[in-house]
Amino acid sequence: MSLELDAEQVAFTFKGGMLPLTVIELASGNIERIEAQLSGKISQSPAFFQHTPVVIGLERLPDEPLALDQLCAMLRRHRLLPVAVRGGNDAIKQSAWALGIGWFPPQEGRAQPVVEPVPVAPLPEEAPPLELRSGRIFRGTVRSGQQVSAPRGDLVVVGAVNAGAEILAAGSIHVYGPLRGRALAGIHGDQDAAVFCHELDAELLSVAGNYKRLEDIPPDLLGKSVQVRMVEDQLEISAFEPLRV
Amino acid sequence: MAKIIVVTSGKGGVGKTTSAAAIATGLAFKGHKTVVIDFDVGLRNLDLIMGCERRVVYDLINVIQGEAGLNQALIRDKRVENLHILPASQTRDKDALTIEGVERVLDTLSEDFDYIVCDSPAGIERGAQLAMYFADEAVVVTNPEVSSVRDSDRMLGLLSSKTRRAEQGQEPIKEHLLITRYSPDRVTSGDMLNLDDIREILAIPLIGLIPESEAVLRASNQGVPVTHDQQSDAGQAYSDTVDRLLGEDKPLRFHEQQKRGFLSRMFGGGRR
Repeated sequence: MSLELDAEQVAFTFKGGMLPLTVIELASGNIERIEAQLSGKISQSPAFFQHTPVVIGLERLPDEPLALDQLCAMLRRHRLLPVAVRGGNDAIKQSAWALGIGWFPPQEGRAQPVVEPVPVAPLPEEAPPLELRSGRIFRGTVRSGQQVSAPRGDLVVVGAVNAGAEILAAGSIHVYGPLRGRALAGIHGDQDAAVFCHELDAELLSVAGNYKRLEDIPPDLLGKSVQVRMVEDQLEISAFEPLRV
Repeated sequence: MAKIIVVTSGKGGVGKTTSAAAIATGLAFKGHKTVVIDFDVGLRNLDLIMGCERRVVYDLINVIQGEAGLNQALIRDKRVENLHILPASQTRDKDALTIEGVERVLDTLSEDFDYIVCDSPAGIERGAQLAMYFADEAVVVTNPEVSSVRDSDRMLGLLSSKTRRAEQGQEPIKEHLLITRYSPDRVTSGDMLNLDDIREILAIPLIGLIPESEAVLRASNQGVPVTHDQQSDAGQAYSDTVDRLLGEDKPLRFHEQQKRGFLSRMFGGGRR
């Protein structure tokens, strides 16, 4: 890059980043009700509430006044760190800024108010418990503009991932076909995750936030069957050698 | 019940309207009562291609907004029996299209016609989404070039998620790939993507391959769908496409480089 200055002169650089953030999506503006539900959650998973940064999502909140200062204070009491608000009207935006936290525009297509949670019907006997199915298998072509993700486990695609498509997984990604789109493994920071594919032509490969663009991929690896993983803090792409017996 | 076929592509200028007109004409030739609807509100072209631009009085938007009856807006084709055109409005914009209105028009047409061909506008906005929403089958028009293939791929994604059949969990839309402006010479020289590459990326069945042809340009300018020109390669290729749409098995033509004879090389005879 020609814009780069001497290393000594640079005090910082701006970098775009995609960090995993928890969104607390409000269905009610009633602080007591939120706190009651929150207390229940804390007893279930206390490890989560260790100054975890959260974004307050308001897209599904019916249009009613919200005491943002009280809400933030309550979240902090429960060792959550509100860092930003997403959605809400102009008054909300102003009070978020006054509280020193950020404001994001609402996420599109999420504006419908939530329905009260319906108690889940007991699963039929033969259905396996949810923990056994944290991964995901997708059969077919992942097309341009489509996004397929496995937020809790591995993702297996039996088919092609076309240019302009994006596949994401908390764990590893396996593509039994050509990988022409973007593949991001270990999206929650799992350094041991990896990407495997039959035919490499990816626009972007990423493991735990370390990425390589198509431009950075050695041309001799294109079209090959490869694995992509972290080796000594470097993203390494290596071709599978044909087995010699 | 009519079968609703949307002709779509994502990218503009690949030959959607030409193909919609040619396919509708071909279906009518085969004796099927067919109507072709222009969904490109604001940029209507179909009436020009069909050669009926001087006979447009009312249009799709008038019908949707209740300003005219369907029979007032439908234009009967002068050349082929069984073929009608429902033009788009030149003066309104796409916001005038409503999903309820489109459904009502398609339901009414369904009672009288065998095939409804919807000519989608370019892009993935409202007009394009409404054109495909109620479709039973889709013809995805693609040129042998990277950006067109990419856009068609995007369109196929939308067809499998943003349509009535997808939303109601019915049997998915039947998708067909129609490659237009294919020039075997330029594929051989590496200027164009070849047939197999396109098929591999889009991974849907091929319904037809239309060669790049002067006949298409001539047909557009004369307002006569190219299917009428059975002497031309493009006209024959569209006829084959219609036969395949109707379930016939036709071998693929026009995809290989022609060996030019001595005289043709000497005098540079172009293809018709």
